[in-house]
Amino acid sequence: MAENIFQSVPELKKALSGQQYISSDEIATITFLANNLGKPLLAEGPAGVGKTELAKALAGATGRELIRLQCYEGLDETKALYEWEYAKQLLYTQLLRDKLNDALSKAESLSQAADRLAAEEDVFFSTRFLLQRPLLRAILSDQPVVLLIDEIDRADAEFEAFLLEILSDFQVSVPELGTLAAKHRPFVILTSNNTRELSEALKRRCLYLFIDYPTLEEELAVVHLKVPALNEKLAREAVDFVQRLRRADLRKSPSISETLDWAHALVALNAQNLDQPTLEQTLSVLLKHETDLAKVKRQMSHPPSRPRYPDELNRFSGN
Amino acid sequence: MESRILQLIAALRASGVRVSLAESAEAFAAVNLMGVQDREFFRLSLRATLIKDARDIPTFDKLFPLFFGAGGPLPLNNVSEDLTPEEASMLAEAMRQLAERLRGQLQRLMDGKPLSREELEQLANLVGLNNIEDLRYQNWMAQRMERALSFPEVRDALEELMQALAQMGMDRQRLEQMRDLIQQNMQGMRQQLSQFAGERIAENLSSQPRDEGVDGLMNRPFKALSDGEKKTLQREVRRLAAALRTRIALRQKRAKTGQLDAKATLRANLKHQSVPLEIRHRDRTRKPKIVVICDVSTSMRFCSELMLSFLFALQGQVRKTHAFAFIDHLEYISDEFTGTDGNAAVSHVLRRLPSGHYNTDLGHALHNFVDEFLDTLNGQTTLIIVGDGRNNYNDPRIDLFNLMSRRAARTVWLNPEPPDMWGSGDSDMRQYAPLCGAVFKVGNLNELTAAVNDMLAG
Repeated sequence: MAENIFQSVPELKKALSGQQYISSDEIATITFLANNLGKPLLAEGPAGVGKTELAKALAGATGRELIRLQCYEGLDETKALYEWEYAKQLLYTQLLRDKLNDALSKAESLSQAADRLAAEEDVFFSTRFLLQRPLLRAILSDQPVVLLIDEIDRADAEFEAFLLEILSDFQVSVPELGTLAAKHRPFVILTSNNTRELSEALKRRCLYLFIDYPTLEEELAVVHLKVPALNEKLAREAVDFVQRLRRADLRKSPSISETLDWAHALVALNAQNLDQPTLEQTLSVLLKHETDLAKVKRQMSHPPSRPRYPDELNRFSGN
Repeated sequence: MESRILQLIAALRASGVRVSLAESAEAFAAVNLMGVQDREFFRLSLRATLIKDARDIPTFDKLFPLFFGAGGPLPLNNVSEDLTPEEASMLAEAMRQLAERLRGQLQRLMDGKPLSREELEQLANLVGLNNIEDLRYQNWMAQRMERALSFPEVRDALEELMQALAQMGMDRQRLEQMRDLIQQNMQGMRQQLSQFAGERIAENLSSQPRDEGVDGLMNRPFKALSDGEKKTLQREVRRLAAALRTRIALRQKRAKTGQLDAKATLRANLKHQSVPLEIRHRDRTRKPKIVVICDVSTSMRFCSELMLSFLFALQGQVRKTHAFAFIDHLEYISDEFTGTDGNAAVSHVLRRLPSGHYNTDLGHALHNFVDEFLDTLNGQTTLIIVGDGRNNYNDPRIDLFNLMSRRAARTVWLNPEPPDMWGSGDSDMRQYAPLCGAVFKVGNLNELTAAVNDMLAG
């Protein structure tokens, strides 16, 4: 069973905020549930809302090691689970040849030699030659760990199927060694950016947490926590601006991490208020698409009566 | 409580959310852990365990308060409570003057007495609420129950009452105050009715038998499908696309003609003391590639939605899918097909290519393709054309089609028309068909399944 470190939701919330992670009630409750039920947690939501950060904060709060598996197209079990160290095996075979000869030379018959060889065989297929990849490391770890399987939607559908054994039974099968069960149940967090539909089987094994963009107050709290140097008034204006940008029709909405980058930039530039020049200088921190930038800039400069808020200006841009 | 949760799960299923047995068991475990005292914890416990898709969250949010009320009906006020004795007697006098039928209703509003369970049941029978199994009727049903309680008449009567009281010389301010309180009561009762209607419909939903499956729908032509049936079929289509992906991958995996894979060879030959007896190759063609060109013109409109969902599902399964749609010219639609909301993507494409204003011109679309996208076709690509081959007497550009089908590993045509219609009128199908590796008639999902299976077998 998973070791339940947290006795209540508020306790978990406090521990997370100790790691500079501000969690909503929803995030804290569902994380608490996953932890206590010993289930993997599937966190979905737009990019940059703190899904990966949640895993890191949780590892920090529990004092466990964070093992991270970044998924990508073409990821397979030799990179995610284990691989035999062929070179080392070969080297050992060469170096131990004399020993092998010794062991075998005393054999009187062929079958006896074969038996002796068979007795030694396990030497070459032991965990000694097993190269542990993240998943196996999480399973075999002597200490309980937090396992982060990041951006699972980038991996192939086959890889999802391969994860099922680990997610439901916390064990892996290595053909040469048999089934290796977890010493401690790792706390598993999977993240997905929603770029494709995950399989029903995978979803069934997880608890589901949808993290959306934060509300104004939540985001303000995050900015206060991470960029304390930014003054209160400016922080509110900046967050308000970002929230409005998210409502506008852009190719890529700014994420929390981009808000934070922007806040840092404003501090570095020693900005006092969000005037037009400051905005124009720093806007590229928030918007990463040429077309988005041009759109927002155009809207900022066009109807000069309300230069700041792009979504209000959308009404005028019907041309 | 347990049966209430089970009912919620049944209602979720009836609304099209997939909830497995394991998940409902999980929900009970979660509720056991978190308790039911805190409503928010309770809600999140159920949501995290039952809902695994962001798109289903609104459904859950709508159903949850119907099963686990929003904290009982609003407290109603007693209007006559703090009246002076003179005012009270005035009120009684005015009330007496009203018709007997409305008195009961008015009295209820005055006293702020919510409707009892029996009364609600009676109303439900009266308006036929027990047969409704669609939440969209909730407001309508609530309105009908209001009418059965003669709300509009009561409202008129109330005005009269107020006027009568004013004539009797009741203080204007007191009158206004009374009117406000009665309005609130009325509002409260209205909410009670709406809540009750919602609850009852949700209960009906949960007791509804599960849908009879897709078998019956499989043979229905695409033309004769309702929206709900299309949804069922889309699920089936997704499964089909997954099957296609797996089979293509397997087929190509087995065709091992690639480079030597040193690692895999070493690994395979450890058992031969590293004497390379078994040679392993890199399976470079493991990833299938698909190029689909889909006709969304008027003549295809009835099935293009389903075909586009098929393309969408296919793209979710096979990363290297390039999807195009055309009417008079070709549009690249793979960009729209990222993300998980298939319906939105499909309707977006259909909006982008509105039918009716253009003449279908496959020849021109092929010309666009060869001009701009020919490099997407190579020896690993399966080219799939979805369309009826009706070209409006435009140049079919057989030469270009020939070029494309020769570049692709395999060319497959899915046509909703039966072969004896080919070549009739403006159809150029007879000219295209010989250049395709295979042509399938796809008029319903069964045929699509058969086509996919054939595609895989061949």
